[in-house]
Amino acid sequence: MTELVPTLAWLVPALPAATAALVLAMPSARAADRLNIGAAVLTAALALALAATALARGDQPPLHGRWYLIDGASGVFEAVIAVVGLCSALVSPAQLRAGGHGWFSARRSRRLYYAALYAFWATLLTIPLAGNLGVVWLLVEATTGASALLVAFSGRRAALEAGWKYLVLTSLGLTVALLGIVVLAIAQPPGGLHALDWHALAAAAPRLAHEPALFAFLLILAGLAAKIGWAPVHNWLPDAHSEAPAPVSALLSAALLPAIVLVAWRVKTALAPAVEHAGAVFVGFGLASLIVAVPFLWRPLPWKRLLAYSSLEHMGVLALGIGFGTPLALAGVALHVAGHGLAKALGFYAAQPLLRLDPDAAERAPSGVAERSAPTATAMGVSLGSLAGLPPSPLFLSELLILLGGVEAGQGAVVAVAIVALALGFLGLLHAFMEGVLGEPAGHARRRAHRGERRLVALTATLGSGLLALTAAGAFLPGYAFVAALARGVL
Amino acid sequence: MSDALVTAILALGLAVIVVRRRSVAIALLSAQSLLLGAGALQLAGERGSDYLVASIVLAVKAIAIPILLFAVLRQTREQRLVAPASGPLVRLAGAGALALLCVALVPPLGLGDPQTERTAVALVFVGAAIVVARRPALLQLVGLIVAENGLALLAVSVPGGLPYVIELGALLDLVLVVTVAAAFTRRIHGELGTGDTELLRGLRD
Repeated sequence: MTELVPTLAWLVPALPAATAALVLAMPSARAADRLNIGAAVLTAALALALAATALARGDQPPLHGRWYLIDGASGVFEAVIAVVGLCSALVSPAQLRAGGHGWFSARRSRRLYYAALYAFWATLLTIPLAGNLGVVWLLVEATTGASALLVAFSGRRAALEAGWKYLVLTSLGLTVALLGIVVLAIAQPPGGLHALDWHALAAAAPRLAHEPALFAFLLILAGLAAKIGWAPVHNWLPDAHSEAPAPVSALLSAALLPAIVLVAWRVKTALAPAVEHAGAVFVGFGLASLIVAVPFLWRPLPWKRLLAYSSLEHMGVLALGIGFGTPLALAGVALHVAGHGLAKALGFYAAQPLLRLDPDAAERAPSGVAERSAPTATAMGVSLGSLAGLPPSPLFLSELLILLGGVEAGQGAVVAVAIVALALGFLGLLHAFMEGVLGEPAGHARRRAHRGERRLVALTATLGSGLLALTAAGAFLPGYAFVAALARGVL
Repeated sequence: MSDALVTAILALGLAVIVVRRRSVAIALLSAQSLLLGAGALQLAGERGSDYLVASIVLAVKAIAIPILLFAVLRQTREQRLVAPASGPLVRLAGAGALALLCVALVPPLGLGDPQTERTAVALVFVGAAIVVARRPALLQLVGLIVAENGLALLAVSVPGGLPYVIELGALLDLVLVVTVAAAFTRRIHGELGTGDTELLRGLRD
């Protein structure tokens, strides 16, 4: 399979990018839907083939091309983005039927939605493959325009607010990150594009002057943190996740945020020789995100907003794992990205029937869903249980690995704070499950949501099985050659 | 790039945080991009392609983007000026303090030209201050571009320049973000009857 990698590395982004252009020429909404299904399945199949090839290489060195770098981490993140993108594309026709046209006219709405969705997905699929920091920055910035339009797709005032905030704050953050990249380019004369290749940066890092390297690292990390939504620069995150259409929320939370975390991780591994205590910056963002997120998990929030704060918590957990940087912690990070992706996406897909069942759930916490719709309640329960880290959730195992990695790294105090925050977060989500899913239904609306329930049952079964498979795989992860390769970084 | 040019570029950025009218802010931004473009042409190497890239960047940032912003301005007329959150002197003092802080904290970056290094970093944060301190959506967008100009000031001063892929890619990304932000500005104005982002404060926990 390795000889197919260069072809796949081009095809995987090219196919959704071509779909984004082609869908605009579709003569009808039905034709756009059909193209969506076909292109999504094909794109995901190719991306998963590429991911499987990367993962099967174990501890062999990364595959380099002129513009790509494919290692074990690329494999994990590419697989997650492929699966979440596929599921989001498959549930999009139902979302569009239920959601009306919003910002755009009815005639253009569906085609523009698909065009933006595929442009966004194509860019996301390219990020884990790109072998150059400058090119990765261009890709990350390119996600902003399409995803901001998708966030504000409903055209409602709250969606405009969320989309505008997301656009302005993340663009500003990325300007700061690019400033850091320019500082790095100055520090590496004679420069040139390939001086910013991940492996070239890692090779040059020991020779970089300490102060400019530290300054560049801090600027890049601070800028990326604004796009990841790490506290304290997370203001856009709950708004964008709660106002976007559910399939887009899933992509934002389960694919975009981890993809940018991967970029931050690569920056750390490449620049670590030049920057003392690089891990401490990650640990700082991680603890801040956990501490900010946990109180919100206790509040009776609307369903998608609760999931958004859970994203903040989980991005914090990933930051901790990368900050600890030991093989155990990095094994936990790989498992956590995959587990969080599946569980969070399922949670957002459950919002579709939930909002049909109880439209007020967009504004207030859900209540008594189990009495009205067993499939919706099951999906919400699987998602919440997994996100809370309730065994056999893979997130229980991944958090355990990350915390043990922290102990291994001699960061006992950080681990102690993280354990308390995670325990409180667990109880908060359990409380949300008891009240929102199992409790008494509030209000008088008792409509049942038949449409879309069969789809949700299929998604719950598929993603739930995926979560169990991850738990099983996670148990064998520590000590596996793939983990040694993760710890070695991009060289 | 001469010290006077660099100082003028920073002064134009600081002026954006003070002025009342959106049209004046766009004109100031255009002048800033023009000076920056002129400086980049002056620094461009001996290769013809350096001049070509610098000219494309200048044409887009000093001409095309301001034209787009003026078009948005015409489509989003305000009945009266949006009341500022704080007075112009307070805003200027805040941005000035931020710029001075940058000057104090930025380590030598290796260009051998501390004034350009510090001014560039200060301008990025002045742009951020404009986004935070100004309420009209269009002025927040101008703030974003001022921050980008700060970054460009450092980028054009890199010996040999940045790789073309990055320079032109970043320009394309900027055009995309400005186009989407312009669409947002029109839509926000259509929804609220004003571009005052202070009214977009419904999402709170």
